[in-house]
Amino acid sequence: MSSVTERRSAGEWLQLAIGGAIVAVMFYPTVWMVLSSFKTNRELFRDPFGMPSTWRWSNFAQAWEQGGLGGLYMNSLIVTTVAVSLSVFCATAAAFAFSRLEFPGRRWVYRLLLIGLLLPPPVVAIPLFGLLRDIGLLNTLWALILPGAAWSLSLTVFVMTGYFRSIRPDMEEAALLEGASTWQIFRDISVPLVWPSMLTMAIVNTINIWNELMFALLFITDDEKRTLPVGLIRFFGRYSTDYTMVFSALTITTLPILALYFLLQRHVIAGLSATAMD
Amino acid sequence: MAAAEEGQPAPLATGGRGFVFVLPALLLFGLFVLLPIGSSFWLAFTRWNGFSPPEWVGTANFERAFRDTIHLRSYVHVTLYIMGTLVVEVMFGLVMAVLLNSDRRGFGLMRGLFFSPMVLSMTAAGVLWTFVLDYRLGLLNATLTALGLSELTRPWLAESSTALISIIFVSGWRFAGFYMIIFFAALRRIPRNIYEAATLDGAGPIRQFFTITLPLLRASMMTCVLLVVTGGFAGFDLFFTLTNGGPFHSTEVPATWIIRPR
Repeated sequence: MSSVTERRSAGEWLQLAIGGAIVAVMFYPTVWMVLSSFKTNRELFRDPFGMPSTWRWSNFAQAWEQGGLGGLYMNSLIVTTVAVSLSVFCATAAAFAFSRLEFPGRRWVYRLLLIGLLLPPPVVAIPLFGLLRDIGLLNTLWALILPGAAWSLSLTVFVMTGYFRSIRPDMEEAALLEGASTWQIFRDISVPLVWPSMLTMAIVNTINIWNELMFALLFITDDEKRTLPVGLIRFFGRYSTDYTMVFSALTITTLPILALYFLLQRHVIAGLSATAMD
Repeated sequence: MAAAEEGQPAPLATGGRGFVFVLPALLLFGLFVLLPIGSSFWLAFTRWNGFSPPEWVGTANFERAFRDTIHLRSYVHVTLYIMGTLVVEVMFGLVMAVLLNSDRRGFGLMRGLFFSPMVLSMTAAGVLWTFVLDYRLGLLNATLTALGLSELTRPWLAESSTALISIIFVSGWRFAGFYMIIFFAALRRIPRNIYEAATLDGAGPIRQFFTITLPLLRASMMTCVLLVVTGGFAGFDLFFTLTNGGPFHSTEVPATWIIRPR
């Protein structure tokens, strides 16, 4: 048993100092981004490191308005919420079937669903464009929701099936003896049982779909239907010489997510490491 | 008893009805993943402008693609990128996981800060680093000048010789935290008494790292290498935001080449 309350040794101080220095250097660009968003362009050139002389909150209002960030946020929110719910629900039902039921073609379908782990989405970008155009979904948010959900299925099914298999089906078998139907068992017993893993996959898929760029770039042409990543790039293209404006837009779009992350840090990290291990 | 526990438990239900649970996933996946993959494969042998019916041309497209030196070089770039990210993401992540593996006050916060670039979107990270690496007001050049190394300043992303290596470092900045967490989780699973026994046998920290830690992290290491390689081949966002394949195609990768009109 090593105790945590012992005094720090010289080696531990060294560990703290080296770790702290590296972490500080890594985190500094983020701090620089936030500080720069309060400055004027001239101030940014003259003194890139210093504190802003006055804290110009108006920069944010201006970036929010001119970049139409409200609409971008809304679209990203809709796409992410619907796509993540869809993929986690479908994947959980499928994982339940793969691990708890027996039906013809079970192994075959399971392997088929994992194909997405081996192929990168850019491979299908062009045929997918044709398909979405033919079924009339191009330039709607569905063009991001459905492919986004579909491409995150492989990982979600893989992780959820693994999680189901790690839990013994005692509760489900007991419910079966009580006369519950398969659907009732799934809804009332299995889903509450695998809830932690569903939450983990929801977090992982949220990060991926919220940040998705290529499909959003190709399948959406209306400015009102763009999501945050594409909007940010276009904003950057339009105001590439108005540096503080771009910094303000960057800060507005990243700070809420950073804040949320630091709030939920424990869950995010536990979730990601659990995913990576299984 | 033990044998029965290890085997697959008996299914709750058998018969075709179980297929209903797979159907939503299979429909979604079939329509938006399998179908496009299939037509991608078929269209590769045709001439198709996206509107009129495709026309069979055999392997002509492949011959054209493999005569395209920009296309071929994109595989060299992505290979260099993957090898670079193995160092700045996986190796650096492993070193940081070992360095920040402590229950002492402050280390939890440091792990959190080290991981935080992962939560920024790839585009936000890309735009931010365009500024960090900017020639005139970039943070990197300003730091070099402040340190009296102004002869090292350069337009990092606009020079062919430094563009790819810059992207590799930005990638490392964003992803090292992710690999750190994977290794950190694995480190926590190694029983502490192994290290105590090694210490009693007179093995120093570096010897312990190579003889205990590294072998026990083999499985995580494989996961990480797999993620870097598959993720690297799909890599698009950073390349698109930072250089869009330029300057002079020196950072062209398959993903940016695929969607380039020609």
